[in-house]
Amino acid sequence: MISLIGFFALCFSTIFSFTLLIPVSIFKINIKYFILIFRLSTFLVCISFISLIFAYVSSDFTNFNVFQNSHSDKPLIYKITGAWGNHEGSILLWICMISLYGFFYSLISKSANEFKILVLKFQSALFIIFALFIILTSNPFLVNSVFVEEGLGLNPILQDPALAIHPPMLYLGYVGFSLVFSLAIASLFRNNLDQDWINEARTWSMISWGFLTAGIALGSYWAYYELGWGGWWFWDPVENISLMPWIAGLALVHSLLMIRGEQAIEKWIVFLAILCFSLSILGTFLVRSGILTSVHSFASDASRGLFILLIFFLTTGFGFLIFLIKTPSKKDDLHLLLINKTSALIINNILMMITVFTILLGTIYPIIIEVLTNKRISVGGPYFNSTVLPILLPGFLLMSIAPVLSWKTNQIKKFRIYVICFLILSLIVSLQSYFTSFNTWGFIGLILGSWIIIASIISIMIRHRFSFTIKYITSINSFIAHIGVGVMIIGVTFSSIYQKEYNFNIEVGDKVSLENEILKFNDMQIIEEKNYQSLKANISIKKKNGNIIYIKPGKNYYPVSKMITTEAGIYHDWFKDIYITLGSENNNIWFIRVLINPLVSFIWLGVIIMVFSSAIAVIKK
Amino acid sequence: MKLQNFFKLLFFLLFFLLSLNSVAKESTEDRVKKLTLELRCMTCQNQSVSDSDSDFAKDISKIVEEKFKDGLSEKEIKIFLTDRYGEYILLKPYFNSKNLLLWLFPFVLVIASMFVFFKKIKKK
Repeated sequence: MISLIGFFALCFSTIFSFTLLIPVSIFKINIKYFILIFRLSTFLVCISFISLIFAYVSSDFTNFNVFQNSHSDKPLIYKITGAWGNHEGSILLWICMISLYGFFYSLISKSANEFKILVLKFQSALFIIFALFIILTSNPFLVNSVFVEEGLGLNPILQDPALAIHPPMLYLGYVGFSLVFSLAIASLFRNNLDQDWINEARTWSMISWGFLTAGIALGSYWAYYELGWGGWWFWDPVENISLMPWIAGLALVHSLLMIRGEQAIEKWIVFLAILCFSLSILGTFLVRSGILTSVHSFASDASRGLFILLIFFLTTGFGFLIFLIKTPSKKDDLHLLLINKTSALIINNILMMITVFTILLGTIYPIIIEVLTNKRISVGGPYFNSTVLPILLPGFLLMSIAPVLSWKTNQIKKFRIYVICFLILSLIVSLQSYFTSFNTWGFIGLILGSWIIIASIISIMIRHRFSFTIKYITSINSFIAHIGVGVMIIGVTFSSIYQKEYNFNIEVGDKVSLENEILKFNDMQIIEEKNYQSLKANISIKKKNGNIIYIKPGKNYYPVSKMITTEAGIYHDWFKDIYITLGSENNNIWFIRVLINPLVSFIWLGVIIMVFSSAIAVIKK
Repeated sequence: MKLQNFFKLLFFLLFFLLSLNSVAKESTEDRVKKLTLELRCMTCQNQSVSDSDSDFAKDISKIVEEKFKDGLSEKEIKIFLTDRYGEYILLKPYFNSKNLLLWLFPFVLVIASMFVFFKKIKKK
């Protein structure tokens, strides 16, 4: 019953959206009614999604999708999140968000009516395309043909709080770019020479980028503690795919913030807006089609892949076609100097684009080679580390001073202070690395990260008088964002380069020593939870200062899906994480792996600063 | 000091530092770690041999360690492994004609865009 309501709501929502596309020449619709119909459509698609959630919560196994992905034993929260823990539900969430973005746009936007209608039309067109995709290939409301009492259960590794909110966050990011896409295309159609749409695009791309950042970080944090591999970024194809629109979005946000009426940059912004959403769809295609092997390959089907590929070519093709036909050809020269603000912006954009295309090439190259030569190759982390990092390096360097560069000249105020501080910093870092083990990347990462932070702080101190107001925070927002990046670079450098690994084969009661700590394996416990059985090793670590901390790595056994997941035990500290995973057992001797990951907290701190700063930028206007 | 000179100096410094990497000496343990990070665990999903604790990964790590102790170079071990398991095992593919595009594309792009950019600036 509830599924039926959901399905009909979805269909009616699609039909209403169709009526919005009727050209004005045939039937002229009043703006009031136009927006009303749009909101009605949004309302209906939300009803549809809520009824899916309801079907999950009430464990309605007459719904095939619920039967396949849920189980009545699950805790309530995972019943709810189970609604988007599968392909069909997640795409329903996706279109729900497309519609919601349009809804909020219609609420907030102060643009001229014609422009508003045009934007909402494109948004509805995108909505219809994806709604058809759901109805034709991925319907979450299909009826289960056999009567069953119990479902098959949700993949255990998805039963996790961070992963529960990871997909909605990520989708808020991806889908937000659909609105920016609509705005850009609408601006081309209207030959919109006034700058209103730039302001709107700035707000919406900032919001999307903020959500995307948070979404990626949550996924990464989840991978860190749930996969038990000890790292947080694996250059997994799906991670790469989310990184591409993220970087393109970063370029977009920077261009939008820096534009001062230049036609050339406006053109570039339109291009980026189309690219961002195209990359989001491409990512969905690559994941859903199952072409790529990845930890995310829980939903793959060739026909769906083909359909998404079609959508991709349709929207991207349409977008870029309009871009080619409709862009204003008026040319104005950019004021380029080595180095002023405009040229810094351009260098930053070029580097980001090259990075995006490098990641794209690396991600799809194995497929190309397999098709052409029938040989399988892998392109993994080491490739990306040795290409992407050197490309980004000059960008990071530039970033440290970019906000204080001037538009007109290539001089910097009080340049001498920066040079002196840089020299002092280099000296300190050199000494530090001289007395510890020297590592080139470690040295560069540390100097770069701390230099970005210091340069930003100097700039704030020189240019702004401190006060406790929101206005003050918004005026130094760009520096805050860059400090976030600096903090993150330090975290990334330390946690990847100075990671220490210890492997032990120990029995209950054994003691072993780490560098500064003494580790003791106390006992093994078996805990019965609602829907799984948990095996936990109780390990205590005596720190140098005498404090004892307890870490409980373990394994969970999920009887419904007959799967075992590793649960890493992590002790968080500001300066290091102690990360323990429990391995296999042999004659009561357990294999445990202990990783000391220094400064991991800086990575998450950096991300939080960046997300905070994007929120400030949204408020700022 | 002018801004340009400052940046030139910086880039020179970075380049110098990066080239230092090639002369650094490492212990066998470090070399094993470094190489196994570049090998795919064939029985896992997108995991490197170093990160995995599967049987396959353990075997490969052992082989790599033995080969290093026998005095083989990194390159020779890679060739040995790709003969057995195919190039799929390398997370960082060989630089050969097949992978030319993969390796050259990013750097050609960087150089080309730098060229265009500086030409634009010179024109001013």
